[in-house]
Amino acid sequence: MRNKRGWFAFPYVIWMALFVVVPIVIMAVYAFTAADPITNATYPTVDNFTGMGVYLNVFLRSFWLAVVATLVCLLIGYPVSYWMAKEGPRFQRLAMALIMLPMWMNFLLRTYSWMSILENNGLLNQLFRTIGVIDLYNRVAPFFVDLRNVFVTYFGGVTTNFVPIDHFQFIGTSGAVVLGMVYNYLPFMILPIYSVIVKLDSSLIEAARDLGADSARVFRKVIFPLSLPGILSGVTMVFVPSVSTFAISSLLGGGKQTMLGDLIELQFLGGAYNPHLGAAISMVMMVIVVVCMVVMNHFGEGEEQAVML
Amino acid sequence: MKKQSRLGGRLFIGLTFLFLYLPIFLLIVFSFNAGDSSAVWKGFSLDWYKALFQNRLIMESLYTTLLVSLLATAIATVAGTFAAIGLYSLSRRKRDALLVVNDIPMMNADIVTGVSLCLFFVAFFQGWGAFAQWFNGVQSAIELPTRLTLGFGTMLLAHISFNIPYVILNVAPKLRQMDKNLVDAAQDLGCTWMQAFWKVILPEIKPGIVSGALIAFTMSIDDFVISYFTAGSSTSTLAMRIYSMTKKRITPEVNAVSTLLFLSVLLLLALNSAREARQERRAARQEIREPSFFEKLSMRLSSPAWKWIRRGGLAAMACAFVAVVALLTGAAWSQPVVNVCSWGEYIDEELITQFEAETGIRVNYQTAESNEALYSLLKSGGADYDVIVPSDYMISQLLEEGMLEELDYSRIPNFEKIDPRFRNLPYDPENKYTVPYSWGTLGLIYNASMVEEEPDSWGALYDDQYAGGVLLINNSRDALAAALLHLGYSVNTTDEGEIREAFSLVADASRRGVFQGKVMDQVFQKMEGGNAAIATYYAGDYLSMLDNQADGVDLRYVIPEEGANWFVDAMCVLKDAPHYDSAMKWINFIASTDANLANMYYIGYASPNTEALERYPDYYREREEGEELDPELYEIMAAPPEVLERCEMYTVLPPATRALYNELWIQLGT
Repeated sequence: MRNKRGWFAFPYVIWMALFVVVPIVIMAVYAFTAADPITNATYPTVDNFTGMGVYLNVFLRSFWLAVVATLVCLLIGYPVSYWMAKEGPRFQRLAMALIMLPMWMNFLLRTYSWMSILENNGLLNQLFRTIGVIDLYNRVAPFFVDLRNVFVTYFGGVTTNFVPIDHFQFIGTSGAVVLGMVYNYLPFMILPIYSVIVKLDSSLIEAARDLGADSARVFRKVIFPLSLPGILSGVTMVFVPSVSTFAISSLLGGGKQTMLGDLIELQFLGGAYNPHLGAAISMVMMVIVVVCMVVMNHFGEGEEQAVML
Repeated sequence: MKKQSRLGGRLFIGLTFLFLYLPIFLLIVFSFNAGDSSAVWKGFSLDWYKALFQNRLIMESLYTTLLVSLLATAIATVAGTFAAIGLYSLSRRKRDALLVVNDIPMMNADIVTGVSLCLFFVAFFQGWGAFAQWFNGVQSAIELPTRLTLGFGTMLLAHISFNIPYVILNVAPKLRQMDKNLVDAAQDLGCTWMQAFWKVILPEIKPGIVSGALIAFTMSIDDFVISYFTAGSSTSTLAMRIYSMTKKRITPEVNAVSTLLFLSVLLLLALNSAREARQERRAARQEIREPSFFEKLSMRLSSPAWKWIRRGGLAAMACAFVAVVALLTGAAWSQPVVNVCSWGEYIDEELITQFEAETGIRVNYQTAESNEALYSLLKSGGADYDVIVPSDYMISQLLEEGMLEELDYSRIPNFEKIDPRFRNLPYDPENKYTVPYSWGTLGLIYNASMVEEEPDSWGALYDDQYAGGVLLINNSRDALAAALLHLGYSVNTTDEGEIREAFSLVADASRRGVFQGKVMDQVFQKMEGGNAAIATYYAGDYLSMLDNQADGVDLRYVIPEEGANWFVDAMCVLKDAPHYDSAMKWINFIASTDANLANMYYIGYASPNTEALERYPDYYREREEGEELDPELYEIMAAPPEVLERCEMYTVLPPATRALYNELWIQLGT
């Protein structure tokens, strides 16, 4: 078969060149040009990049929220994968199906389901009202506000008055955005970690035990290092969509938690038409993602070889 | 101790599943709610399912989603499988280089893929337009279309492109595991390569193909971002439809459609796992496995008797496929269509049905969020609208850029009924391009039960006493206009200092936490439900909020003493509109007195039609079964001349000022 059917790859090469490489080149062209507002003529420039400092906050927020979401996913996803791999094959198959199942509902539907929970008059606030959490807060919080005011009067600062609340603010906060990311991307963390752990050679663990390591040590010295490739691929699979999301932040962030994705959308289909700037921001995002991946791969290289052995 | 840790593990897994499924469960429960809230239970009903099947917009988008996912999966699976076989016949170095390119779409953020494809398609369309014009000029045998736009085709191409890498990634390992000598052996024994492919390669790599197809389908169904950037404006997947609904009111029909989707996936999974379990049991009993459907098919297809049927059959299938596609697109093309883009909650939808029944023209009705968003859509080449309904200043801007087509007024006899007050306005001095749709004022809407004294100044928007209760209008023009008016400047100022001053008024208030959020049509939900105290919005929308306000909410409308903006929205036709004739019919239909009355009653905006303005109080009485129209409300709707005198119309701003608006506006979110 070798060298006879190589031409099968030919249409594919053309396709990829046309729909993957050329679009990125065109995006780069857009990023390094600008349109004159009066004549509409384009001219080459790097202003799109140099003027990006204005959006530093957006960059920082995007990265911060994405990092937090990735960490939370890891903290939930790793134990789940670890314990899942210890169960019988039937349990594992069922659990896998249950993890994959929500992915067949579009992620926008999943995000929407959180909206009705987190709204000011939503289900969570109703629940809190019914079981008295909000009353409790209204009763307890004045004490802390008074306490703070006492400090403030001694050490200087502005005293505040307590205002009773009738709901907790969930929607429109960065916490809601992180929650949305974790909820949507958790399966992307569980699946790769699980598939690495489940394939671990049990004789390695037995050997470690025979050599006198206790459970914690076995985990630290054998299981965890060997599952690193899974963690790394899970981290990238959660981080990349998180840092670039725009639907989650606009639905759960109430338009106040602008992220990189929102900024890009605004330049193309939103209210501020400037595809050149949008392309430039996309370029920067692409470069940063690639750099992250290269660093990660470099970092994980030694471990991967260990698995190959 | 071991037992205990296992229990802890199961508990943790259980909690994670609760987290994953609780929202979905609630979504399903509220699809059976009798009320229209997704947070208050009002009893069991199946109304939303009934409504869902009658909701054409949602059903169409569901159909689009399934069609694009299935087509993209099928094409990507076949293409990806052959590409993988091809890749494995190449030298290692070439293969590795190609696999790096293969990784790009998987590695890249969706939004980068979407943006780059969008720019690529638009650039291609521009090139094509120039080529087609030249080509049509040098010969007359074939007429090429000069204007291509984003649509179903571009979205399908995008889906195929991001699906192929997943298929390759799943098929490649199976090819690597396969014994290379098998194919040679089959060919030595007299198989042609094709036979060897069907009999040897395919059964070996089948699991990879199946899982590749499955993942491709999952990715397609789950995708929103790439579709959003490549589908253009007149094609919507379910996700895009929901995204645009979240900017207005979401109806529980969305819950109903999610429930149906979820249950059908659940059913498929259950069937599949039952089948697998049965096969396993049988294998355990007899050590013989029933050949799967795929194997049976390939066995049957490669038996000699089937050979000729196979060859003919494949050709016939291909022909049938092409014929069906051609027929479908042909049918879609032959039925006259008009693509309309308007604003959210801005038409009595009965009118669409009525127009379709009368003329046989299908109305593809889309909405944009604001004038600025509409402009972005038009500029990015994503829109193939015929009729749009921009506001005055945006009409000037579009005219300036030569984007509008002159109207054929001989075919719009109802234009005669437009009041002279609304003809020959500054944005279209000779009235060659526009037919007014509605007009109104921009003012303050406040909830009297949350605000102590009537706010009579725009300053209320920046007042700390309403911190967290103010909704900022989410478009730069209106938001800055309020600030400019408050500072005593003209809404049309081009003075950079004045604009910056107005902006810092807004930005400071934003920093101090005065605003709850930036909203456009979400304002309905927020104000009606008592979730916010003050908002800037349009008079007409205030009236429709009044009809829907919750208990304990007391909404009022005021035009502040500094004055306000008054506007006219008018129907225009885009240059090179694909359906000019249908567009004329639609405009004439909407300009009729009956349609204007229905719209006034439904959307609450004043009509520019003289007869409709006169007859509206009677019409209202008729529709409300005897109840009189409150003259005060009618004055809010159709502001009397002395109020309009205090109001200023927007004019188009010079490009430099527009750029400043954009720049400042983006900064506000950061």
